[in-house]
Amino acid sequence: MKTITAGVLGTGRIGKIHANNLLRMDGVRLKRVADPFVDFKEWPPPPVVVSRTPDDVLNDPEIEAVLVCSPTPTHADFTEQAARAGKHVFCEKPIALDPDRVRQTLKVVERACVKLQVGFNRRFDPTFARVHQAVVNGEVGDVHLVRITARDPAAPPLEYVKASGGMFVDMTIHDFDMVRFLSGSEIEEVHAYGAVLVDPEIGKTGDVDTALTTMRLSSGALAVIENSRQAVFGYDQRIEVFGSKGGIEAHNETPAQTVLRTDAGIRSENPLYFFLERYQRSFMIELEAFFSSIREDKAPPAEGNDGLAALLVGLAAKQSLRENRPVRVEELASSAPKKTR
Amino acid sequence: MPTQSKKAAHAPARQGGDGPMSQTTLAVIGVGRIGRMHTENLVRAIPDAYVKTVASRTQVDPAWADSLGIPVRSTDVDKVLRDPEIEAVVITAPSGLHVELIEKAAAAGKHIYCEKPVAFEPERIERAQAAVAAAGVKLQVGFNRRFDPSLVALWEKVRAGGVGDVHQVRVTNRDPKAPPVEFVKRSGGLFFDFAIHDFDTVRFLSGSEIVELFAVGAVLVDPEIGKAGDIDTAVITARLANGALAVIDCSRQTNYGYDQRFEVFGSKGSIIVDNLTPTTVVASSTGGVVADKPFENFVGRYRDAFIAELSDFVRCVRDDVPVRVGAPDALAAVHAAVAAKASHEEKRPVGLADAFQLVGEGTSR
Repeated sequence: MKTITAGVLGTGRIGKIHANNLLRMDGVRLKRVADPFVDFKEWPPPPVVVSRTPDDVLNDPEIEAVLVCSPTPTHADFTEQAARAGKHVFCEKPIALDPDRVRQTLKVVERACVKLQVGFNRRFDPTFARVHQAVVNGEVGDVHLVRITARDPAAPPLEYVKASGGMFVDMTIHDFDMVRFLSGSEIEEVHAYGAVLVDPEIGKTGDVDTALTTMRLSSGALAVIENSRQAVFGYDQRIEVFGSKGGIEAHNETPAQTVLRTDAGIRSENPLYFFLERYQRSFMIELEAFFSSIREDKAPPAEGNDGLAALLVGLAAKQSLRENRPVRVEELASSAPKKTR
Repeated sequence: MPTQSKKAAHAPARQGGDGPMSQTTLAVIGVGRIGRMHTENLVRAIPDAYVKTVASRTQVDPAWADSLGIPVRSTDVDKVLRDPEIEAVVITAPSGLHVELIEKAAAAGKHIYCEKPVAFEPERIERAQAAVAAAGVKLQVGFNRRFDPSLVALWEKVRAGGVGDVHQVRVTNRDPKAPPVEFVKRSGGLFFDFAIHDFDTVRFLSGSEIVELFAVGAVLVDPEIGKAGDIDTAVITARLANGALAVIDCSRQTNYGYDQRFEVFGSKGSIIVDNLTPTTVVASSTGGVVADKPFENFVGRYRDAFIAELSDFVRCVRDDVPVRVGAPDALAAVHAAVAAKASHEEKRPVGLADAFQLVGEGTSR
């Protein structure tokens, strides 16, 4: 297997996870990491070269692939710079909060003829991948309904909420991608109900913390997503695809699979606490897929256009909530100059 | 179970219970599938009930009535209602006759249990409501889920603060097999005939009212249902008066049994009611780990609920206390159905206040 030399921009929480996964991965050599806010005293292990400026990664001719894990406002710039330098890019979602900005980035990537994979890690979760496989195999027949429950264990800090673009763009965007991924169909129309039930401070920022989003898909199927910023019992991540032959459901995963029976009742375990625990395996698998697509010169399994599609649905959901009406996604797509493909 | 009293063969055996003094005497009007089920439950499982009469527009099967020890079989409802011994009636006649029968029974001073739907039109439910109010009799409506042991336990936990403040209510309601198109045509449609239970369940579990809803429907199971002007798949989301949100997903056909799941999610956690299965057998082999499918239909799944609702009705009549689910609940559920139909057709969220308006304008069924 050909070894690919990689660099990582941004070594915060997710960047560090990705970098550590690269260190464990066959056929990949992590050469450099860059982050202006990290002192790198205890990490990473040698011989990984550390620096405070992204240019050291972007200008290194040996580096073929760059992982963009820096704060969201820098994603588009770094992706473009890496692409122009002829490097394949793995970019954490979202590429940008403005669809026009995303389109611009996708054009740069296309012109540079490099791969771009977006960090929709849930597609690579073994449980959800099995749900997807069941749909592809025809085990549930034609898809009639996709139902997703996605609830975080605790509301994020208010500072995050203010900068995140809102719940539909920062949180539900993963679920919109799962609806597209699992149904194999495009989301055409969205209606969202939202409420502030967890924390009034979230409401003051103009966001919601609880939502129900209904969708019509291009295949004719329906989809519904239930979101909450706070499920006190843990990260509540359940998916069901229901179709003409039956349904397949993915339950929550737990740290261990025990049932405790006492006179107080029958107790099983709380779900894995948050996304780092629940989707741990998916982070490794998504990067393996990214490097395979480079090695085999094929399209990555979650591309820039997937990021754009989910973003547009998120913006449509925001608009639906604001105007209390169903919003067709093409209303947003057509407002901008041109589709990327 | 109480013992059957021994009587001469030509006189029907007295049904269970300690004797006529402790029993409420009932007539069942309409002995189709549901009517027969309720009759059998009353006779076999509710010792406080005595079914004296079964009435039907057509001849009642005498062997069936004999087997249950029911002495009177009638094709004349008016005569049945003139019988002073009859204290209460169970109306399981075709839906279109419900309101008229309620009015007659109320005028005759009988307490009434009526299968859902009382009517598809809010103003007709109001007519029935006025009739029972004027006569001072009770009217219980057949929202059987309110008596299901699992849902009652869920509701009690919610009421006791088990989930904290309610944030989301979720109802999954899917039938095992699509009904014949002939049934669909006279059913009133998915929102009126099927989701009506879900609207009531949302109200019951949340302890709140539906303020506004948005419905999307599709024809995915059977194109014939579409040709009949109905849908077979729907998702309904709603805003409730207490600020919470609710979601209902419906399908006319699962192929794996009657899928009935419920969840109430709130500030302190979540409570789920999963499908019940006929047995708890789990068979593991190289082909996989296989458990029972859910019950095949509502008769199996809600068997306990059907018994409990009539048992409670009989208790309410005997003790003269208010019924747990009545005309106002039927009315609220139908208003939600009217709103859902309008929402689906007009592709917009519809407020329940607007649904009242729609009814006034006669733009809906």
